[in-house]
Amino acid sequence: MIAEIWQYLLAGIAVGAIYALIAAGFVLVYQVTGLINFAQGEFAMLGAMTAASLAGAGLPALWAAALAVLVASLVGALGYLLAIRPARKANPVILIFITLGLSVAIRGAALFVWGTNSLSLNAFSSGTSVVVFGGVLSPQTPWVIGADVLVFGALYVFLRHTPLGTAVRAAVANPPIARTFGIPLATIGFWSFVAAAAIGGLGGVVVAPITSASYDMGLTLGLAGFVAAVLGGLDSLPGALAGGFLLGIFEKVSGGLISTGWEQGVGFIILIAVLVLRPQGLLGHTVRRA
Amino acid sequence: MRNALILFVAGITAVWFLSPYAQGLVALIGIYALVTLGLNVFMGFAGQVSLGQAAFVALGAYASATLALRLHVSPWLGLVAGGCAAGIAAYAVSFITLRLRETYLALATLAFGIVVSVAFNELDFFGGSSGLKDIPGLTIASWNLDVRGYAIVAWALVAIAFCFTRNLVGSGYGRALVAISSGELGAAALGIDPERLKREAFVLSAVYAGVAGALYASYVSYIDSTSFGFLLSVNFVLMSVLGGLRSLWGALIGAAVVVLLGQFLQNVVPLVIPSARGDVQSFFFGVILIAMLILVPQGIAGRLGSWRRA
Repeated sequence: MIAEIWQYLLAGIAVGAIYALIAAGFVLVYQVTGLINFAQGEFAMLGAMTAASLAGAGLPALWAAALAVLVASLVGALGYLLAIRPARKANPVILIFITLGLSVAIRGAALFVWGTNSLSLNAFSSGTSVVVFGGVLSPQTPWVIGADVLVFGALYVFLRHTPLGTAVRAAVANPPIARTFGIPLATIGFWSFVAAAAIGGLGGVVVAPITSASYDMGLTLGLAGFVAAVLGGLDSLPGALAGGFLLGIFEKVSGGLISTGWEQGVGFIILIAVLVLRPQGLLGHTVRRA
Repeated sequence: MRNALILFVAGITAVWFLSPYAQGLVALIGIYALVTLGLNVFMGFAGQVSLGQAAFVALGAYASATLALRLHVSPWLGLVAGGCAAGIAAYAVSFITLRLRETYLALATLAFGIVVSVAFNELDFFGGSSGLKDIPGLTIASWNLDVRGYAIVAWALVAIAFCFTRNLVGSGYGRALVAISSGELGAAALGIDPERLKREAFVLSAVYAGVAGALYASYVSYIDSTSFGFLLSVNFVLMSVLGGLRSLWGALIGAAVVVLLGQFLQNVVPLVIPSARGDVQSFFFGVILIAMLILVPQGIAGRLGSWRRA
């Protein structure tokens, strides 16, 4: 019994690391623009599909991964300029609908490009699974956790130790005053959206070897990522990390003990509980009221 | 009122002579229009947001189908039962969800939608992932309703709901809802109880969705949890936005445009792009949703209305 739970826990860590990446994208955009970007999961789908199809065409894995992240960022930039920027003065409900539309549109475009077939991507490192105290960790897990370290580390260094990052934090803390200091809020909003798309794309690249890639994977990934973001606190990057791992572990352990079909349901029951009991999330600060 | 009645009778006569395929579309539009009417009260007038409306359709459909299959309850009563089941669920859920606003409300309703979908998929009592088959259809005396019959029943329900909703939003009640949408604090200062009104609008929208779901179950005679997923909820939002959030005619227009456009795209896109399969309309739906919100946020009906007044 204990061994089983330990195994589910390890599986949860692998999944949770991916959720954390997607959640980071949500948090980044929400902090800077106050926007929940329902299209976040689709960037992961774009990353996964691009990487899988390029690697399938014979490109080295590293190049395929880099191009996949680039494609996701470009689509993110385009999406922001075409869909969100023209409506940035609209009320929050309209903006939610717009990102919803963006999500459906990206998914539909992917259907035209790749069709309904799913693509697979080889694990980045061949080799046997890692055994930790009798539990098996899939060979892809270190890569996923590596991506987490890379992204959260880079964000930490950028936000805390560079002048530009300080400007971003000022824009988050108090937009009107930041504006009087000449901090370009619109530009920061744009780049945070692109960065979130890139992070989502990277999440897709590292998850593709685990789940294989298909045009409709974005919805599930996006929803899980954002349960994780709410769980940890929508305005907290450490919260995204914690929320991602917690959600992954919750899902896998309860899914393993009850039935795998309930996995997704568990996540959303947690979401509802968090929204009611502690809407600011575990590590968040405030509930933003528009 | 008399004009509406004439329009309705004329409509039914026209439907009588349509091809069965077109009659099927008319029935489907009616069912969706019923859901969208309710959604417009909750989203358009009260200014809230629901991304889980498909869950109420599912609750209505499953309630009616289960009663008919297990207890042999007449599907006509199933329509009432479906509406009640969805309404009660909405009432219960409202104590959680309606404490939240905007983004958080969107999340909570979305989560509710997914939990309901997962629950119906997992619970064997409701057929599990294989769904419910052979759901009895509606009958009048010895006549088993055909497509034509369903089209008429659907639009009769739409007509009733339309008249009721129009009286509701045209009264002080509707103005109170609009007051809530422009600021709950201000509304409360005018003596309106925002919480109660939001709850009532939410329950109303769920009842409409539940009745629509029950009718849908009898009409197609087979349901499973995938018929009521997140994407259906998004489609309802699209219908609402496209037609015009704060317009009742908009609900009908939105439902009609989305269903017809969906059919059109499903038939035409594979001719242009042979490799396209599956949900080919979703790309266009997404783009249309964004374009409408940016260019015509008041929707088709809102735009037509402002022309008429000008």
